[in-house]
Amino acid sequence: MSAATNGEPLLDVSGLRVEIGGVEILHHADMTLHRGELLAVVGPNGAGKSTMVRAASGLTRPSDGVIRWSGTPLRKLSSRQLAKHRAFVPQRPAVPVGIAVHEAVMIGRSPHIGAFRRAGASDRAAADVALARADAADLRDRQLSTLSGGELQRVQLAVGLAQDAPVLIADEPTSALDLGATATMARRLRALADDGLAVLLVVHDLALAAAVADRVVVMADGRTVADGPPREVLDQRRLAEIWHVDAELHADESGRTALRVSWLDEPPASFPEDAASGAPDPPTL
Amino acid sequence: MPVRQSLVLVTAAVTLLAATLLSLALGSTTIALADIFDVLPVIGEKDLDNPIYQIVNDLRIPRTVSAIVVGAALSVAGALLQGALANPLASPDIIGVTAGAGFGAMLLLLAIPDSVALVPISALFFGLVAAAMVFSVAWAGRGGGGVARLVLAGIAVSAIFTAGTTMLMAAYPDRVSSAVFFIAGYLPYDGWSTLSQVWPYAAVGGVMAILLIRPLDRLALGDDVAQSLGARPRAIRLQAAVAAALLAAAAAAMAGLLGFLGLVVPHVVRLAGGTSSHRFVVPASAVAGAALLLLADTFARRIAAPMDLPVGPFMVVLGVPLFLWLLRKAI
Repeated sequence: MSAATNGEPLLDVSGLRVEIGGVEILHHADMTLHRGELLAVVGPNGAGKSTMVRAASGLTRPSDGVIRWSGTPLRKLSSRQLAKHRAFVPQRPAVPVGIAVHEAVMIGRSPHIGAFRRAGASDRAAADVALARADAADLRDRQLSTLSGGELQRVQLAVGLAQDAPVLIADEPTSALDLGATATMARRLRALADDGLAVLLVVHDLALAAAVADRVVVMADGRTVADGPPREVLDQRRLAEIWHVDAELHADESGRTALRVSWLDEPPASFPEDAASGAPDPPTL
Repeated sequence: MPVRQSLVLVTAAVTLLAATLLSLALGSTTIALADIFDVLPVIGEKDLDNPIYQIVNDLRIPRTVSAIVVGAALSVAGALLQGALANPLASPDIIGVTAGAGFGAMLLLLAIPDSVALVPISALFFGLVAAAMVFSVAWAGRGGGGVARLVLAGIAVSAIFTAGTTMLMAAYPDRVSSAVFFIAGYLPYDGWSTLSQVWPYAAVGGVMAILLIRPLDRLALGDDVAQSLGARPRAIRLQAAVAAALLAAAAAAMAGLLGFLGLVVPHVVRLAGGTSSHRFVVPASAVAGAALLLLADTFARRIAAPMDLPVGPFMVVLGVPLFLWLLRKAI
């Protein structure tokens, strides 16, 4: 795992607010993302995770705050220019009937193909590379409507990679996947970050986030409440405060992670560091 | 383009060519193909005292061209709307054009029969007015441009114009028979008169359709992916709906209410070609729709010659069995 977080951030979000239908969903969110970094955004349902990444991606209009892509304010970028800064992989992809995988991935190349130009050999080569990087080359000639959930998510990743943007944003890509498909997706995303891509991942599975992410942003009630390495941020106290569960994250040196949850107990009302000693216990990770 | 899709396009094009020759040869009078080929080189010259030339030049070529334009326009309008709204039931009916054009025609046919020559323009005008009303509701405000709002606005606006048409029919029951052909769909023998008035609308809609092919393919992967790729889904839907309105209103002005074409032809070409890619569906719909309407119109002229029958029912008789056969094979 590597995190080259030096230099100007590819994405810089500060003081972000979003209103939807007159209701403020996001009150204050901050986030930075650098090249080669995998950043996981975690938080309970309704915390504003998807809203934040959608607003940062230009898919939802913010009501206030600053979003900069490689230093340029989002509002100064045309939709076509923005497409060259980031690719967005949605939570629930559309599955049109009668579209083959290679056709869908070629559509992902469209920001690089002029309105009056046909796809060339370089575009076809880039689409094949995207399929290979997403571990989806074997699905090339299949119809989208015949793919399983895991296969479809790999193809969606390939569509995003074909866009050739330096930042890949994936909104809960593993939420509907089984254990094996989730692990496959986790390995793909980690490998992409290790190759230099900046990956922003919205995810519910905290054990998965701890295993793959360089940094974790924790959100609650429409605000970012913590930002840092998983083993510093996802401690027992925060799990109790934010998710209202008695749980601990464990990790061993081989990279295995597990969330141990006391499912039937109320979260603890106090923690050892609340005792008179005043010295906080070391995190469980 | 894969072999299967090329085959569908070639088959549709050959059918269109054959239908064109049949349309020129058959009618209340049968003209030998050799005679048609004799007069084709001098088409457009005036005052030729040759009855075959006059039939072909004054009647059959304009009618054949009109059928091709109407068939292509309605089918492309349906393909655009089905793609833009991701709804297999979308057709020009859904954006109010059909109901508006029907009211525009009935207004003149029933209430102001002295102005019957203006029926095409009235149909075009009210078809576009109805579509504009739908769009002004569907795309208003920050949350505008969604599929559900467009469909509901289309139903509501169509209801207004259908109610107007019904009231006109109730007020002038003795004149309703004169409107039957417009309702059923017909291609009149009026030379280039109507086509010369409405072709710019069809042409603009056609050019817009070509420019929308790639944006609609992006939209097929969902709004989020389309936006990720730099497209603007709301704007694409509006452009597709405007193009469809221009095409469908021009078609209604020329041939009355032929809603079936716009609904079914795009499905037929998708099923036959095995793809929903608009690079194939839009041009194939244009060619197949033109061929189907032209064949049906030739039947309509020939079957009870010298009497012309409305083309709409013949088109259904020809198109539905093909559609049902493909549907049964595909699903």
